[in-house]
Amino acid sequence: MSVSKNIILFALLSVLLIVFMLAMQDLDVLYNSYGRDYYLLYGLEETGSRNLVSAIYLDYRLFDSLFEAGILLIAVSGIIWISKHDIEEKNAKFMIDKYKTPDLFVTFSRLVYPLMLTFGFYVIINGHLSPGGGFQGGAIVATAILILYYIDSERETNIGLIVTIEKYIFMTIIVLASISLFTRGTFFTNFMPLDASLQMKSIYLVLLNLLIGFKVALGLWTIFTAFLKEGR
Amino acid sequence: MIFIPVYLVIIPIFASLVIYIFKNKHMNYLALLAQAVVTVLAIVYYQHFSGNFEATMFVFGGWDDRIGISMSNDALSLSFVFLTVFTWWMVLLYTFDKGNTNHNFIFFLLFLEGVFFGILMTNDLFNMFVFLELAAILVTILIAFNKAGNSFRAGIYYLLVNTAGVLTFLIGIILIYFTFGTININVITNLMPLYGDELIIKFAYVLLMSGIAVKSALFPVFTWLPHAHGVAQSAISALLSGLIVKGGLYLFIRINQMYAAANYDYYAFFFVLGALTAIVGVMFALSQKDMKQILAYHTVSQIGIMMMGLSSQDVNVYYGGVLHIFNHALFKSLLFLGAGVIIKVYRTKKVNEIRGVFKTMPWVSIFMIVGMLSITGAPLFNGFISKSIIKYGIQDSGIKYWTLFIINIGTATSFIKMSQIFFGPQSLSYPMQRKLQNFALMSIAFGCIILGNFYIPINQGFFGIDLSYIHIFEFAKFFDYFLTLAIGYLFYYFIISKDKPPIPNIRNFSISFEASNIIFIALIVVMTIYFVLL
Repeated sequence: MSVSKNIILFALLSVLLIVFMLAMQDLDVLYNSYGRDYYLLYGLEETGSRNLVSAIYLDYRLFDSLFEAGILLIAVSGIIWISKHDIEEKNAKFMIDKYKTPDLFVTFSRLVYPLMLTFGFYVIINGHLSPGGGFQGGAIVATAILILYYIDSERETNIGLIVTIEKYIFMTIIVLASISLFTRGTFFTNFMPLDASLQMKSIYLVLLNLLIGFKVALGLWTIFTAFLKEGR
Repeated sequence: MIFIPVYLVIIPIFASLVIYIFKNKHMNYLALLAQAVVTVLAIVYYQHFSGNFEATMFVFGGWDDRIGISMSNDALSLSFVFLTVFTWWMVLLYTFDKGNTNHNFIFFLLFLEGVFFGILMTNDLFNMFVFLELAAILVTILIAFNKAGNSFRAGIYYLLVNTAGVLTFLIGIILIYFTFGTININVITNLMPLYGDELIIKFAYVLLMSGIAVKSALFPVFTWLPHAHGVAQSAISALLSGLIVKGGLYLFIRINQMYAAANYDYYAFFFVLGALTAIVGVMFALSQKDMKQILAYHTVSQIGIMMMGLSSQDVNVYYGGVLHIFNHALFKSLLFLGAGVIIKVYRTKKVNEIRGVFKTMPWVSIFMIVGMLSITGAPLFNGFISKSIIKYGIQDSGIKYWTLFIINIGTATSFIKMSQIFFGPQSLSYPMQRKLQNFALMSIAFGCIILGNFYIPINQGFFGIDLSYIHIFEFAKFFDYFLTLAIGYLFYYFIISKDKPPIPNIRNFSISFEASNIIFIALIVVMTIYFVLL
């Protein structure tokens, strides 16, 4: 039964693979580079971001990024709601057994923690200049916070507070992105005028990257705290 | 004025965040305020732009329309917007009357409204994908909201199956982006004559359509729907069956509009798929005993009928399908909400255990009966109009006509079966007077009757379609309906009520997640062979 099922699945998938490869061959002739060329030509000038990925997600397609951040927000709230059994348990302690965590690991964690935090913020703040940005840097900061739990296993976390702050930050992101309605007459773009200097434009980029970074870090922090408590 | 679509998306989301932050019972009423604002904005927007829908297009940030994200509207999307506003009003009123309004519930519910507006109004394929993904996660949480074991399972099943569908949708978008250099739907529509015959674009069509087939629960991949709609809270079931699942059909219309210049012969394929969906849905519905499962399987079968209408070259039949989306949204949410009230009082979902509903709660029963008459296609009610349009359009083709006839008999049978709950003496008292709930049910019931009687001016005004060739007061129409009912009753009395094999076997039939994935891949392959290789 299972063998025949696998054979059928294999046959079906190979049909799809062949068609896909045929379609890819067409792409040699058909490939349209309009979008790529546009970003290369005008990306820096129009958005003030040297990192074109940041140019896309902070300016050209900011509306998408808002809801990408929204996906994390909803996932966090959903996990909190579903893993919530009791109010008391909410502020529970994290339970790494101190005696089973090697001292070497704890010591190294103490050394690495400030470095990771700094690196995370570096990636966030320089998101418009070098590879990185709010989403990536936020994940690094969240990892740094996770290491804190190894250093101090008695640590208590108030998840409710974190989740509320996350919501505030999300609202701030929406408001910040909408300021351009008053300065440039259109929604969800840089609030600086189009002919402002690169430094002026980067104010907006750094601010938005910071907010997104905080939001992502807080969101991931909540998710793994909720999971750690579930696993107990 | 042109930015009202943004407000429609942002206002519910903002209100939901405020409600979540304050966790206050009084703050929950902000939901109603936001809803009122959204209603007013939608009406103002429609009045300003009706007749000049070209002007609704705008690009975020004022960029080149091939680079930035744009939004635009037309009569179809705006009528969906009004349907959304109406359904959310009813669901909100219904939940607020239950007393235990949880701020988490309102948060997810309102957020979903904003996201659904986004799906309707966006003019960008990737933006559509983001909204679809977000909606899938929100719906999962709402299904699993009461944290019981079966609702968890249904929620996760929904999430996994829909994620698989949305992923094929994403691959389709990538192929389109490589070929067109943009994902703006308007631009792609205009460029379609250039690339429509290329293999890669045909394959992209297949991938987009298979994602949509999962979203709208078409024949082989509908298995998630009865699970999800059967176990969720009644308000959520009404929302899912009435509206969210129609999001898939809306995308079907949109994507086919985008591919209009490519002239694919999709009509026969999707007609067969629709007919199969309808027949299988009715078959499963007949075997069920759980009231909500019956309604959920009827959603599957009605979606089949809509698909039969939408996949027609005849403009009238096509609008029959579109109209059936709206009519079904009304009567199915009415039935689910009514069923919710009954289940709450009787504490059971089994059709053969509930008795004497008419004596216990006459008003709810009357509204439920309106819903049942509508879904079975009784003259004077709205289901009749759209079913007649479809029937009128396909009466030349024997097979198509008889397929629809059999589906109608199945529907009639299963609602005759369900109507047994009304008979019998009053078995328990119904002390609660729920004014808001009754008001919500009454509004939807009125909607059914109004759309069933004043369909000519309404459709003329909104879609510019002349429906004056559909007459209600014809002897043949009434004769047809009562004939269907009579055959349905005989069918019920002699076969269904005996509950002999194979009916219990159908009832207990279920498909594992693994098998449903293989079926999904098989569907993609069949579509590939039909559209790409032939």
